[in-house]
Amino acid sequence: MEGMATTAPAAARGRSRLRGGARLAQYAGFLPALVLFGAFFALPLGLIVAYSFWETIDYNVVHHWTLDNYRYFFSVSTYIHTMWATVWVSTLATALTIGLAFPFTYWLVRYVRRGALQRLLLVLVILPFWTSYLLRVYSWLNILGDGGAINRFLQWTHLTDHPLSFFLYDRPAVILVLVYLYFPFAVLTLYASLERFDWDQFKAAMDLGATPRTAITRILLPQIRPGITTAVIFVFIPILGEYLAPQLVGGQRGVMIGNLIVNFFTGAQYTRGAAAALLIAALIVVLLVVFRRSLEVEDAYRA
Amino acid sequence: MTSPAAIRLVDVSKHYGTQVAVRPTNLEIGEGEFFCLLGPSGCGKTTTLNLIGGFVNPSAGEIWIRDERVETLPPHRRRVNTVFQSYALFPHMTVADNVGFGLKMARVPASESRGRIEEALQLVGLQEFGGRVPGQLSGGQQQRVAVARALVNRPAVLLLDEPLGALDLKLRHRLQIELAQIHRDVGTTFVYVTHDQEEAMSMATRIAVMSEGAIQQIGTPSEIYYRPQSRFVADFIGESNFLDVSTESGTARLEDGRGVPCSVNGWQGGTRATLMVRPEVVRLFTATDAPDGAIRGRIVQTSFLGSETRVAIDCDASDAPLTAAQFGRERIAAGELTPDKEVALWWDAHDAVLLPIQSSEEEG
Repeated sequence: MEGMATTAPAAARGRSRLRGGARLAQYAGFLPALVLFGAFFALPLGLIVAYSFWETIDYNVVHHWTLDNYRYFFSVSTYIHTMWATVWVSTLATALTIGLAFPFTYWLVRYVRRGALQRLLLVLVILPFWTSYLLRVYSWLNILGDGGAINRFLQWTHLTDHPLSFFLYDRPAVILVLVYLYFPFAVLTLYASLERFDWDQFKAAMDLGATPRTAITRILLPQIRPGITTAVIFVFIPILGEYLAPQLVGGQRGVMIGNLIVNFFTGAQYTRGAAAALLIAALIVVLLVVFRRSLEVEDAYRA
Repeated sequence: MTSPAAIRLVDVSKHYGTQVAVRPTNLEIGEGEFFCLLGPSGCGKTTTLNLIGGFVNPSAGEIWIRDERVETLPPHRRRVNTVFQSYALFPHMTVADNVGFGLKMARVPASESRGRIEEALQLVGLQEFGGRVPGQLSGGQQQRVAVARALVNRPAVLLLDEPLGALDLKLRHRLQIELAQIHRDVGTTFVYVTHDQEEAMSMATRIAVMSEGAIQQIGTPSEIYYRPQSRFVADFIGESNFLDVSTESGTARLEDGRGVPCSVNGWQGGTRATLMVRPEVVRLFTATDAPDGAIRGRIVQTSFLGSETRVAIDCDASDAPLTAAQFGRERIAAGELTPDKEVALWWDAHDAVLLPIQSSEEEG
């Protein structure tokens, strides 16, 4: 008896040590991701944070702690103006993208039904991904530009005798291209959520006296809200940081905050660029927290 | 029927392209009936229900709900409510909000609707559950919420589309009793779709047996069971023995000319027909005390089922073994019904039903 009493805890200790080792082994899988994440995300981010509080003197970064970079950003009205313009261009482009993607996806799921045609349409939606992003934006220059498809058509029909330039190099062109670029993301996200919806509920709502519109607003939309929120996040946040599309089709008037940041860095104003980049990042974090909360409310509802 | 029918279908049909879902159908369902549409899957019963509910538009014909012609009205304008097979409860709303949805759509004042919601939940025994969401309820409770959600609107007719299909057998039996009870309590006309003949028999006041888009027979459960008008109905409802016979000189005769007990009133002599006899009316005799003319055979299998024992008998009167149901335990205990025993079987003439021969095309 006594012998057993002494050996039992020892055995248990052995097991727990073993389990500790096993636990470490479990986490080993994280190691590559941790290294990658640390070296190429956390470390650079730390550097940017540090840069944003340092000074640039004669194109050299000097390790003087200061808030000047942030003060400078908010002292130049063009920057503040561009920041707000970026927010509303992103908001409008996101609203238009979701506004186009939702009816399309709704139609795809409800009326086309699962089958060869639905698969074909989904493939068509993601088909643009097979072409490079740059090429897709460039192609819009050929549609909207002076020698572009629209102008050539207008001249051919003699509606105008010289090319019209207002299609390009302004915010409408930027928004158009952004909607085009992000439409597939919105469709795929909404599809995942609409496809799971039980359409019998729709029938039930109609049966209980709801018009189709009421059935959509009271029954469908509340249930797919997490999907819509996800779609908004997937579209809005990348658009907020867009650089290439406004650069190519936006001209001087289509500038977004991403272009400003690039200008800072090409002008060797690293510390000011870092501050601007962090301001955008901060904005995104704030928005994510807001969206996150709306997601959580939904989850709590379901449980 | 003196009062206007709750539901009347006049030459209603539905086809999708060349595919016929419902053949031209005439049907009248009386006020307060518990009416079952019964048939195998694909027989058109659910389409018929959807025609009444407004989820499917008829290709031709008139649909009347009480004294209103409705075939062109959308579902939300018809005085019917539906209990769906999947229940289709709204998962993002509480039970009380689910039940109150129809009242909200009808703009019933909140003060009145609160009382009606409570009343409806009480009817289905869920008054404690108003604050929960459907995900927190069991299948049987969800089914009751679906019934309450439909009945709270006081529809002219309640449509039920296989509402117990997703539940296990015990619960299904309990809810059958509850549904019949609710039907008696509220007095609303129920139209109930099912493929389960036992479910239909246990609840319905009348049953319409459907197959291949057409109603084969309408009647009370006992009429359908004891007086089927076609081999399909006899085969679909309960178990039956079928014998090929022809009517000659006042009785039904097997191919070899032996007479079997059966009334041939209304049948022309020399007509080939199918004789149907239920297992429970078949009487079994030992080879020695069999009456004259009884069909003789040999037991191939005896299945003890608890309340009854099924005996399959191989005999020369039919290709397939005939089945007899035995209810007493004495004969089983005495070993009279073991396989390979020689037995004889017989029945009373009024227990046999003569049916027209079904062409092979119509089968299946």
